[in-house]
Amino acid sequence: MDLLSNKWIINLIFCLFFTASLSGDVGVLHVLESEANLDWVLQNGPNPPYMVILDSTLFTRSVMMKLKTGSSRVAGVVVVAPSSNPAEGFSPHTTCPNENSGVYSESYDPALAHCNVTKWNPLGNGLSYEEYDFPMFSLKDDNDTQAIKQCYYDHNHVVNGSSPRYPLCAMQLYSHMSAVTDTATCMRRNGINFSLNPETVCDPLGDFNVLASTRPLNYTDKGHKTGESVVIAAARLDSRSFFFDIAPGAESAASGFVTLLAAAHALRNATQDAQPNRTILYAFFQGETFDYIGSSRLVYDMDNKQFPLDLDNVHSVVEIGQVGLHGESKLWVHTDPVSRRNSSVNEEVEKLIRNLNSSALNLSLSLQEPSFSQPLPPSSFQRFLRARPIPGVVIQNHNSSFTNRYYESMYDNAEYLNMSYPPNLTPEEQLEYVTDAAKALTEVATIVARALYTQAGGSDPIQLKNINADSQMVTQMLYGFLVKSNNSWFQQMVPSDFAIHLRDRPTNFYVGVTQQHSEPTLLVQYLLANLTGTTVNITQDNCQNQREDEDDKESKHIYSYMWVQGAAPPNSTERVAFCVRSTVRLSKALSPAFDLEEYTSKDYSTWTESRWKSIKGRIFLVASHELEMLTLGVGVAVLIASLMLTYIISSKADILFSSGREPTAATY
Amino acid sequence: MNLERLPNEEKLSLCRKYYLGGFAFLPFLWLVNVVWFFREAFLKPSYTEQLQIKAYVKRSALGLLLWVAVLTTWITIYQHFRAEWGEVGDYLSFTIPLGIP
Repeated sequence: MDLLSNKWIINLIFCLFFTASLSGDVGVLHVLESEANLDWVLQNGPNPPYMVILDSTLFTRSVMMKLKTGSSRVAGVVVVAPSSNPAEGFSPHTTCPNENSGVYSESYDPALAHCNVTKWNPLGNGLSYEEYDFPMFSLKDDNDTQAIKQCYYDHNHVVNGSSPRYPLCAMQLYSHMSAVTDTATCMRRNGINFSLNPETVCDPLGDFNVLASTRPLNYTDKGHKTGESVVIAAARLDSRSFFFDIAPGAESAASGFVTLLAAAHALRNATQDAQPNRTILYAFFQGETFDYIGSSRLVYDMDNKQFPLDLDNVHSVVEIGQVGLHGESKLWVHTDPVSRRNSSVNEEVEKLIRNLNSSALNLSLSLQEPSFSQPLPPSSFQRFLRARPIPGVVIQNHNSSFTNRYYESMYDNAEYLNMSYPPNLTPEEQLEYVTDAAKALTEVATIVARALYTQAGGSDPIQLKNINADSQMVTQMLYGFLVKSNNSWFQQMVPSDFAIHLRDRPTNFYVGVTQQHSEPTLLVQYLLANLTGTTVNITQDNCQNQREDEDDKESKHIYSYMWVQGAAPPNSTERVAFCVRSTVRLSKALSPAFDLEEYTSKDYSTWTESRWKSIKGRIFLVASHELEMLTLGVGVAVLIASLMLTYIISSKADILFSSGREPTAATY
Repeated sequence: MNLERLPNEEKLSLCRKYYLGGFAFLPFLWLVNVVWFFREAFLKPSYTEQLQIKAYVKRSALGLLLWVAVLTTWITIYQHFRAEWGEVGDYLSFTIPLGIP
């Protein structure tokens, strides 16, 4: 049985969580047939609490809200995941993602705050942000799930209005969560010193941002760099869904960062031979789903001299958002209307848009600005704007609201991006096959790469024409992130100790807690190093110690070296490993609120995840309550009877056990 | 220890020790005093020291009652309101239950 549970993620302002008892929640199974059938669970059914099994069509806000209000009779909810995406769309996120952590607040521009102009995620039902008093699990629709439903039909099903008789089929779900209330409470409880059993109850969400630059930066030299002007090319790395451990994030995350990876690769030659004036900083931000953890941290570091650049070094920002094209040929360039009221910023933004448009000449895609003035969609660029009015654009596939009907849900997967492969291909052949989705993203990557080249000051038209993204690479990346990360191409580019962690399933883009490295961060780090770095001929020992030779003490501050597995040559099975030198760095993506210990901060993300013990479930038959009481009663009666018998026998022991000969004259 | 075998002066001295000891925030000593010396103080035929023993037992019982009242009140208030007290409640606690507020 493949169980995916909803872990307890808590925040100061939004408490999204569910409580479950320490010994597991037991409930009588009930397969919900329709919304009207909820009456059985909530009012009429004679054997509460019930464990409700929902088909995905019934996993809607109205059903869940009714179950939430009747939670004394609901022991848990199990959702059966369908094998294909629901046509009408489903998004458990809010209608206005990251509403309070972006740049649009009352003080910036009240008319644009709280999605007054455009509701970005109109299909959002906000289910992920509610509080539930029972555990919720998701099951795949396979044989085990059929067995569970069969158990229901055999024992629990109501026939002709008569209530089902015991024994009934019941299910027990264990998913006890240690943390409660909100982040401030659980972080305080983490730190209490004189408790008898100090136990960490929750951990902050976070991971690392992946950064690389076209010109190496000296990471020991933090703060403002005079004369350095940087163009930041940004994308987000993470996504989520309602259930833990499944966040395919195909359009919400992968479409953006795969495009940026391909663009970085396309720019490798152009930026190595004749460097343009400005440095391009590729930034892949983690944790953006949860109130911009990664980008807020980078801006904070830049502002506080914790990073080799600061915000005055930033010339402009180009962000790639959701760019999956489902057959359309138009991309939309979003800008911030408030910062554009300043004429110098406006001039730079218009120059940037012209760069983008000229890069799209002779290609089949076109770029356009939205027809009316609207704020930026949720994007990492908003956190930069909070600090300074920087010129920048966000490239998206939607004019106003999202076209993504499955934003931050478990249905935002390869199927949604139209990554369709011809039937009967082996995994190797699927890896190499260039899908239409990959072709479209390749075009986008070429446009972005050329625009970045021009924006960075590159002026050679021949170089510009030679900047082309590689569709083979794009399709391999899409396969690796959205279908199977354990494939031969990824295997070549990672170090051997990471290669064993590659899975035969799509990558999970949930950011996870700070202590645990998330798979996509490491994958993107290794990919970016291979795609923008160079192979250097140094020994494994030197490579793993971040130096070119034994005496080199300087290189580790500007470059990073990776010893990767490599491929096996055609005639042998031994991989030929090599060293890749690149400017790829990981920068900590932990919300500044945790360093500053401001757990009630309104400026920074305060998301934490509760600790949990075991997550499992089982089904069994239960006997009626009366039978249990009867068994207990009989046991107690036998106990009392035996005690009484013992007392009677011992008090009459002299009569019962005497030989009967002596006349008993003694009085006691 | 079998009280039957002790001479009366030693019984009195033992009762007094337990009575005085209970003032050191040890209400269980008073509980023991009451239970142990109850028969001696009230149910045995009278002897010289019994009056004093009776006094000690009565006062121990009074102290015990007071302690029970105070502790019951505090425990009820704490168990009921600890969750609402937030920070103060957490700092007062040695063991905080997991998974419930």
